[in-house]
Amino acid sequence: MIDYNAMSDADFRRQVRQFFETEYPEELRNLSHRPKFAEIEHWHRKLHAKGWVAPAWPAEYGGMGLNAAKLLIFYEEQQRWGVVRGRDMGVQMVGPLIIKFGTDAQKAYWLPRILSCEDIWCQGYSEPGAGSDLANLRTNAVIDGDEFVINGQKIWTTMAHDSTHIFMLVRTDPKAPKKQQGISFILVPMDQPGVEVRTITTLAGETEFCEVFFNDARTPCENLVGELNKGWTMAKSLLSFERVFIGAPNLAQNALGQLETYARGAGRFDDPVFRDRFAEVALDVEDHAALYARFADQLKRGEPLGADVSMLKIWVTETFQKITELMIEAAGPDGGTLGPLQVGNAGVDVLAAFYKARPTTIYGGSNEIQRNILSKAVLGLPG
Amino acid sequence: MSNAAHHDQDDLRLLRESVRTLLERAGGVARARKIRDEDGGWDAPVMTELAKAGVFGAAVPEEAGGLGMGLAAAGIIAEEVGRVIAPEPVVASVGLAIGLLRRLCPAHALLTEALAGTTVLATAWQERDAKGLSDTLSSRFENGALTGTKSWVAGVAVASGILVLVEAGGGPALALVEPGGKGVSIDKRRQSDGSILAELHLSGAPAELLAEGPAVAKALEAAISDTTALTAAELVGVSAKALEITLDYIKTREQFDKPIGSFQVIQHRAADMHVMREVAEAGVRDALGLMDATETPRLRARQASRAKARACTTARKITREAIQLHGAVGYTDEFDIGLYLNRALVLSAWLGDDVYHRRLWLNARNAEEAAE
Ligand SMILES: Cc1cc2nc3c(=O)[nH]c(=O)nc-3n(C[C@H](O)[C@H](O)[C@H](O)COP(=O)(O)OP(=O)(O)OC[C@H]3O[C@@H](n4cnc5c(N)ncnc54)[C@H](O)[C@@H]3O)c2cc1C
Repeated sequence: MIDYNAMSDADFRRQVRQFFETEYPEELRNLSHRPKFAEIEHWHRKLHAKGWVAPAWPAEYGGMGLNAAKLLIFYEEQQRWGVVRGRDMGVQMVGPLIIKFGTDAQKAYWLPRILSCEDIWCQGYSEPGAGSDLANLRTNAVIDGDEFVINGQKIWTTMAHDSTHIFMLVRTDPKAPKKQQGISFILVPMDQPGVEVRTITTLAGETEFCEVFFNDARTPCENLVGELNKGWTMAKSLLSFERVFIGAPNLAQNALGQLETYARGAGRFDDPVFRDRFAEVALDVEDHAALYARFADQLKRGEPLGADVSMLKIWVTETFQKITELMIEAAGPDGGTLGPLQVGNAGVDVLAAFYKARPTTIYGGSNEIQRNILSKAVLGLPG
Repeated sequence: MSNAAHHDQDDLRLLRESVRTLLERAGGVARARKIRDEDGGWDAPVMTELAKAGVFGAAVPEEAGGLGMGLAAAGIIAEEVGRVIAPEPVVASVGLAIGLLRRLCPAHALLTEALAGTTVLATAWQERDAKGLSDTLSSRFENGALTGTKSWVAGVAVASGILVLVEAGGGPALALVEPGGKGVSIDKRRQSDGSILAELHLSGAPAELLAEGPAVAKALEAAISDTTALTAAELVGVSAKALEITLDYIKTREQFDKPIGSFQVIQHRAADMHVMREVAEAGVRDALGLMDATETPRLRARQASRAKARACTTARKITREAIQLHGAVGYTDEFDIGLYLNRALVLSAWLGDDVYHRRLWLNARNAEEAAE
């Protein structure tokens, strides 16, 4: 087994870069939509054979075992080459939770199947009445013999229509004194009569998220991860990780590159007003990267992240939106046109970038909620 | 000359009510969704009903067969069109097709048909170069036929004729071609609201010459100013309705056991949107009134740019904020709010966005001051 952490940063970067540049399928570079698994399966097979599906997981579970510094390099190179995120809810979300809280039997059974994508996961947290107020969730699971019987509804479940399993938060003790208590974390197979998926079309015209209905759906009790009624604290423990991930510069950097390509092709840099606005967003991205590096260093030293990590997400998602608004402005009379706009020999899909930027301030804890956290937990404001 | 100042507010209020009722009865915003999902065209019967209500003649002088109520009245109509995202090309017909015909060939039968809503004409005046909108005209009228490429042509798929701006014998000319005719090919580009903007390729397309000479340039300038200002009014309607939908939503959506509209940060943002909308409505209506009161092209163009700049900024802010305050439901196609965002994108790009018009406005203002 290779100890990547023992390599110099430069050597590691070179190796990762080389792998992407030689192996990554050209037709999957910089995809503007969220692919179904079948579309990227050939790439996934290569990644799997190389042992690179889960860069952050410990090597004993089939991951690359990268420390934070190497992990960042890996993500940077992924980003640089326009490598797709893939169907990574298993690797990014449920895997780490099983590693941290699962039994040996759960690890042995589920982790290899996540790596091979034999199981493809989606995240079932949000419900119609439980968005920002996630603890308000109502979908319930009742123990019947050696199974949970599940009833209720999840919504906004990204790619549920292309998933085999759903990890979910369910209410297992409706009588608990606080909303946050009495919630459990369970794993549920989706191929069963009690589970029904309905896709929801986004305003960009894509089917990316779904509603999932549970009508006496069943899962074995052994699919409970962690303790019964302790799911909330477990799920929360993954949140700070999610917030660095979601606060990373990637999306904004990528959009900035697209803006530049378009603007060069269309001669926009001749315009002093445009130059100023471009410089403004470029600096927004650059300075965010500096702040991000501070948090990344903290991670590298193995220190826990505080509530202040919220600022990364606020800044980068709003910068992303500013950049895509500027793309629309640069497109002028073509600003309402769907699909790639041809400039020189490049095609830039301005509206796809714009649509992608819109929900980033909503999901992963809305920016309003992040501001609430900052003002209370970081600034110590009363109320 | 008759203008809006001669008509009191009651007339405008009645006009607004009748157009609103008509469009609601025709199906409201649900119709915009339905037509988008079908083909991105429009309802011919609604076109003729609108005509009967005086929509197409409202801004046309009485001597040219209209109601002589000025742009102020046309603006009221455009606001109502914006509120329900009516897919009929009301503003483009009133501002461009009818605007050009009544100024250049008032006796042509086409004008009567356009006012009656029985003929819908698209107008193709813009051309594209490597950087976007071209300043020069390369399409030509020669030996009774048109050759060249026109860009960003709205409504061409369902129009029965296309008015084309071309060069003819050293000056500008306006000619008419048939969309399905010989030598005409149409490259359709779908817009975010489901409508189509087309690239129109003409290669020896037989055409009828309607007018030529300096009068064409003058009429076009006036028609573009009118259409720009009326598009601004349409955006005011889009913004107003998007805000109403959002206010309803934040009053009823509950999280943390209370309506999200009870959180102070949401209240402040709602208040800001309200102020923006009021400022935009006041500014755009004022601009339309001032345009009715003058014939000077530069003064009219300046007001049109003022209106469009304000309306684009406002619509952008309100439609984006509306999605945010809806949360994930705002990002779906199932709620109407997304239709307003997609409509605002198209109307903002059409005839120039706010950045473009702020520049034109400042140029016009400086030119006026220099002239004084
Ligand atoms: C593209 C996309 C993909 C998603 N994928 C998934 C997924 O795979 N799995 C999953 O479980 N969920 C997913 N979600 C759901 C996401 O987690 C929720 O949208 C998010 O939690 C917000 O909830 P909501 O949409 O119900 O909005 P609400 O909570 O109803 O919020 C509406 C508005 O009110 C504001 N607001 C709410 N509370 C407060 C407050 N206390 N103070 C100030 N403002 C407040 C919000 O910020 C927002 O602007 C996805 C969402 C999107 C848009």
